[in-house]
Amino acid sequence: MKILLMGHPNVGKSVFFNRLTGANVTESNYPGTTVDYTKGWMKIDGKDVELVDVPGTFSLDPKDKAEEVAVAMLHENRGALVISVIDASKIERGLYLALEIIEEGYPLVIALNMRDVAEDKNILIDADKLERILDIPVVSTVAISGEGIKELVSRVKEAKPVDVDDIISNATKAADVGAAGDVP
Amino acid sequence: MAMERKLSEMDYDEEGTVTEIEEYLRRRVAGMGIRVGKKLRVVTKQPIKGPVDVIVDGAETSLGLDMAEKITVEVA
Amino acid sequence: MKLSAEERWDLIDRISKETVTFGAYRHTLTDAIGELTIKPLTGIPIAIAVLYGFWSLFGSFAGTLCTDGFFVKFFDGYWLPWLQQVFPGQGNWFYVIMVDAGGIESGEFVLSESSFESFGVLTSGLFLAIGVVLPAIFIFYLMLAILEDIGYMPRLAVLIDTMLHRIGLHGYAIVPTILSLGCNVPGVAATRILETKKQRFIMMTLLAIFIPCGAQIGIMEEVVPDLIGWIMLYLIIGYFIFGYILNKIVPGRAPEFLIDVPPYRRPLARNIGKKIYGRVTGFFKVALPFVLLGCVIVGILYQMGVIQWLGGVLAPIFVGWFGVPPETAGPLVAAFLRKDLAVAQLSTIEMTEYQMITSVVLVSIYFPCVATFAMMLKEGWKDLLWALAVLAVVVFVYGGLIHLIGILLGVA
Repeated sequence: MKILLMGHPNVGKSVFFNRLTGANVTESNYPGTTVDYTKGWMKIDGKDVELVDVPGTFSLDPKDKAEEVAVAMLHENRGALVISVIDASKIERGLYLALEIIEEGYPLVIALNMRDVAEDKNILIDADKLERILDIPVVSTVAISGEGIKELVSRVKEAKPVDVDDIISNATKAADVGAAGDVP
Repeated sequence: MAMERKLSEMDYDEEGTVTEIEEYLRRRVAGMGIRVGKKLRVVTKQPIKGPVDVIVDGAETSLGLDMAEKITVEVA
Repeated sequence: MKLSAEERWDLIDRISKETVTFGAYRHTLTDAIGELTIKPLTGIPIAIAVLYGFWSLFGSFAGTLCTDGFFVKFFDGYWLPWLQQVFPGQGNWFYVIMVDAGGIESGEFVLSESSFESFGVLTSGLFLAIGVVLPAIFIFYLMLAILEDIGYMPRLAVLIDTMLHRIGLHGYAIVPTILSLGCNVPGVAATRILETKKQRFIMMTLLAIFIPCGAQIGIMEEVVPDLIGWIMLYLIIGYFIFGYILNKIVPGRAPEFLIDVPPYRRPLARNIGKKIYGRVTGFFKVALPFVLLGCVIVGILYQMGVIQWLGGVLAPIFVGWFGVPPETAGPLVAAFLRKDLAVAQLSTIEMTEYQMITSVVLVSIYFPCVATFAMMLKEGWKDLLWALAVLAVVVFVYGGLIHLIGILLGVA
């Protein structure tokens, strides 16, 4: 198994990477380009799993060479699992990329990073509800202080491919329940 | 009273809701969270045909004036 | 199943309505600083102050404190005299290449007095690498890492977009440009953030020609400190003139600027340390072997008389077209291999200030250093050949133009 770490630029992806991996980290150029990416190993249930820090991208519609490489790396690793790092204070556009990846059939875990920044901005996210709608693990993290990293690692194995139709119906259900005026 | 204007013609600190984005641009700005129906605020415009800086959903994006011309906003 | 962009946003809106509560938007201090540094009225003066501060810290730390304050004293006071004494075979070819080429005064071989003049691999080569380049590269990357990690670069990009737009690039091109002032190799790598082939070609060519690296700047600060302002000015003007021309003649699109402007953050010391370590060791792994090897090859070519011969052949062009004295022909030829060494060599030749400016500018816009050359080759040999063609034209035209300006000003 291989794990890809994906997300927008500036969401703290490399801080994440440093927290998740040990010493054995290699940096290399993507073949035929000057775009570099980092690879390392993380431990999941005592086993070493390869973790790749994919260059940041805003969507799967690449607009420059670095984004092209990000998309190419995703497509080359059909069997991979993806940790999608989202800036919690900009959750909507983060979900855009996450959904794109889900739609392509990859098993996904979401790390809602910079939860503290979001709170400073008065943005509150119900991670449990988000998890129920998306039907994949959603973990709140603050990578800089290490908060939530352990939980993320322990839940990686719960990632699974989801059909976007199911997400749509989950969202509809959630809205109905909400309209009915209460508890899940 | 609300009125429609090109994003490129908005003043700084003005707010509005995006009503139209030209087809070819939609996917390009989608990743940045800019889309029809979203509220945005112009933070600043650089002089001499410089880029326009907007905040959408708390995220700041700077886009060239040519692009800003292709985005219509209903100014509040 | 895949959704269209509109359907996807629709779904996100619905999810977000269920799971996210946006309280009253809170304007934080960080936001306020963010706005101050991006609004032109306040942002441009701040940008100028930041760049000026960058430049003066660079000069005072690398030049004054480290190089003059320590390394010059160490190398000239202890290392050079010691090696001159203990290294066997004074005056023979091996001694000349490794330790000291010396000079001939009234028919006798005399030893050099400083590591700028000896041109030996173990003296000038090591001195340049450790005494001049290392502190320059270190302080440069430290300051750059701080600016990057607090999130200043995108704001600088927005402010400078208007200008860079005129040469077919856009604001973000400031990132590879500034990075190249440390070393052109990561600068060329950073052109990946530009969208089209046209933009990347223009950027790479301009970097290779007009942006001197930290090693060169460090040496210039040492040997021609009074003229460095003029030299940099000529390089910046050239960057824009030829960028403008390239934009007109290179086919392809130059798409508009679209960048994310992240909020300011407190930089993490660990990340900055990692970045600097990576870049400095990268520089020394990639570039240092070339510095030392360059010294060896230049030394051998001098010994074999190749450089003197080429210099003699090319001297009429240098004198007639560029207006520099014939003695510069040697260093200018050697500059193909080692730009920094060539600058040091030039500084020992007697000439007018304007000739010095011209010849140092020529050295800078010359053939890119071997490491950069290798990096550009990675991006594709066709682009590299085109870049070299542009380079040849630029050196000839711009060199002549600088001479002409000198004539018009009455200083050349």
